[in-house]
Amino acid sequence: MTAQLRADAAETSLRPSIEERREIEDFLFLEARLADESRYADWEALVDDDMMYWVPRGEGDYDMATQMSIIADNRSRLRTRLAQLMTGERHAQLPVSLLRRVIGNIEIEKTAADEYRVFSNFVAYELRRASNGQTVVWPCRVEHRLRRRPDGLRMFLKKVMIVHGDEAVGSLGFIL
Amino acid sequence: MTATTATAASEPFDFDHLVQDERVHGSVYSNEALFELEMQKIYYGGWVFVGHDSEVPKIGDYQRRTLGREEVIFLRARDNGIRVMSNRCSHRGNLLAIEKTGNTRYFTCQYHGWVFDLDGNLKDVPFPGGFTKDHDCMRVKQLKTEVYRGFVFASFDPNVGPLDQHLGRGKELIDRACDMSPVGRVRLSAGWVKHRFATNWKMLPEGDTDGYHVQYTHSSFAKVTRSHYDSGLLEQEEDLTSQTIDWGNGHTELYLKPQYKQYMEWLGVKPDRFPDYIAKMKEVYGEEKGHYLLMAGAPHAVIFPNLFIGEMNIVFFQPVNAHECIQWHTALLLEGVSDQLNARILRNSEAAMGPAGLLLADDGAIAERTQHSLRDRADWCDISRGLDRQETGPDGKIHGHVSDECTNRAFWREYKKVMTA
Repeated sequence: MTAQLRADAAETSLRPSIEERREIEDFLFLEARLADESRYADWEALVDDDMMYWVPRGEGDYDMATQMSIIADNRSRLRTRLAQLMTGERHAQLPVSLLRRVIGNIEIEKTAADEYRVFSNFVAYELRRASNGQTVVWPCRVEHRLRRRPDGLRMFLKKVMIVHGDEAVGSLGFIL
Repeated sequence: MTATTATAASEPFDFDHLVQDERVHGSVYSNEALFELEMQKIYYGGWVFVGHDSEVPKIGDYQRRTLGREEVIFLRARDNGIRVMSNRCSHRGNLLAIEKTGNTRYFTCQYHGWVFDLDGNLKDVPFPGGFTKDHDCMRVKQLKTEVYRGFVFASFDPNVGPLDQHLGRGKELIDRACDMSPVGRVRLSAGWVKHRFATNWKMLPEGDTDGYHVQYTHSSFAKVTRSHYDSGLLEQEEDLTSQTIDWGNGHTELYLKPQYKQYMEWLGVKPDRFPDYIAKMKEVYGEEKGHYLLMAGAPHAVIFPNLFIGEMNIVFFQPVNAHECIQWHTALLLEGVSDQLNARILRNSEAAMGPAGLLLADDGAIAERTQHSLRDRADWCDISRGLDRQETGPDGKIHGHVSDECTNRAFWREYKKVMTA
């Protein structure tokens, strides 16, 4: 146990290699593109079994156990959310929003031999075709927790902190 | 409707024409001058829901709110009472509270440094030599405030009638929500999610107790998850025994209990999930009332004009302009129950409600389409469904089939009364 902790600590102090950074960036870009294009099943394939998809009311001190979140999906609820979108009757996304996001400011922490904590910022532009055709801007900070699986990286946390998450936000039927 | 009288000419809105028993004119959702009149008559002239006293548990705790389009502070004063006052310095109109929430002994205006106590009394003025008026006449504007079982209501009109009269029989709806706690107290401590709708605010109270749309708007929800709405709202029309109820004074309910078969269906759990809660409820309320509460759950009901007790959610409506409004929601947490039960309530609230809610995101899109469609040359909206099969009970409440527009008619009747008063 102690030896393992020491090993973890040693790993934690390691900076990710250039190859690791490139692999993680590729993961973030793919994850973003699948979300932007409402490819729910492909996006879900990037999710690990213990996934939390969490949209608190912003970057503040919002304890999931005691504070209302905008989204606080465990794996089971996330499955329901995606299945609902795939029924073809989720009016909030009929037709799906057209989305494009730009990701930047990527900071990677290696937290264990095969795990990473990644912070990034993104700005998404959403054309709300399902309601009144307006274009909406979503400025966000994201925390991803990733781990390596035999067939590649998987995410087990995606925490999206909308800059204006504690103000009034419009319908959010897509994957942020 | 045909007779254009002198009254109609001097009065810009002919409510007998716009709001009828069987239909309302779509312009009621889009007319900007009408919206201004609603602010005066409904939001500044009557009682509106502000918040809950559990949001300000300690002396000096305050919360900012927007009533109509007016900024207010609601707080717990030194005598432990709840006050609602204008969030505006009596000197030159600057905001007093800037943070959304906090605890303070005084509010100090950041413009010239005037200091007010928690009752809004002016306590200090920098460079007092130049200001010779009596401080008593500079008190921050106080709203008439009453609290019913922790639910705080306020009015800008000092001559408004008693809250009791406005709530009328609707008090029973608030009672049913509070009585879900074995100690009779609910707690709104989880913070509010704010959902922006590009719609007129009146679509929120109408939609929230519309039992008809569930089978269509929420079909995707029904396909992917089991819920208490399956039996209450999604059977064949002739098999549905749930009701729409017009409680009077514009208060409306979807009464779902008739179709519940087991305790706590309203929380989507089996009765054996929270046995301690069931035992405690029966111990406190007795077999008969305990049984009723555990079967029925909290109501699904709107208190006119801006409060929605959405089962285990508390929701209120904030109008922004004729074409935009904000729906606030938080979980209806219970005092005197386990953390596990409250956690379940919290997670259920997030699932259903708000911008990403499995239900409300769809309601938002539907309402926004309606607003978009009605924005200019609006037509009539029909609310006649079930008019010929509703029944008035001995207590005056009107009961309709759960899919009928009994609740819409109840809202519009009160609306017309208030707008023409």
